[in-house]
Amino acid sequence: MSAELPVDPVALREEVKSKYREVATNPHGEYHFHTGRMAAKKLGYDAALVDRMPDQAVESFAGVANPFSLRPLQKGEKVVDAGSGAGFDCFIAAQLVGSTGRVVGVDMLSEMLEKSRASAKRLELDNVEFREGIIEKIPVPDGWADVVISNGVINLCADKKQAMQEIWRVLKPGGRLQFADIANGKPVPSSALRNIDLWTA
Amino acid sequence: MMEEIGFVDVQVGAPADTFGGASGEKNARKFEVYGYPFMGHKPK
Repeated sequence: MSAELPVDPVALREEVKSKYREVATNPHGEYHFHTGRMAAKKLGYDAALVDRMPDQAVESFAGVANPFSLRPLQKGEKVVDAGSGAGFDCFIAAQLVGSTGRVVGVDMLSEMLEKSRASAKRLELDNVEFREGIIEKIPVPDGWADVVISNGVINLCADKKQAMQEIWRVLKPGGRLQFADIANGKPVPSSALRNIDLWTA
Repeated sequence: MMEEIGFVDVQVGAPADTFGGASGEKNARKFEVYGYPFMGHKPK
């Protein structure tokens, strides 16, 4: 583990996997965050885009804010969702970029990938695909993306700088990063930062 | 950190009460945790 990182990145990744595997398979369970349509409504997503999705495509959504709120995606854009979960933000993006655009969702959990692929098939979206990977090593060529989106993922990375550098790599010059994440107004004690159990609590 | 990497025209949107009404609300209030949208551009 790097001396500069508060926790071991691999151990943290396993903890995150455990938590979000549960969100994939038991979306209506008790969590410290909102999920599904309740979360989408609370975070201000466009109801017209959400309402047309089947429950399967929405129920495991666990985002923390709306990455589309500062600027809508444009028709024809190529988008990467780093940490795509069950695919909710990808399905929003796929509707916005249209048939001339392309959306690649990247997630490390097989349960999430399986669910997102099934939902894409059900939605008959042929401009979206899902690939296995992690935000620190996105399986997309250099300079491919017009836009990288992410929602509630970077805060769960021990090495945020590495994640940002990887996003930078896949963005084309002139491309943009639109992500949603949490931030704290009061400092969290260093003892809590070193406690992996609290990162996903 | 975004600017350190090289992103320009960085914007932060309005906060969302991400944990309000959820079981994580107590801790979120304690540390003033909110969700935010962020945007930055990679220069041409």
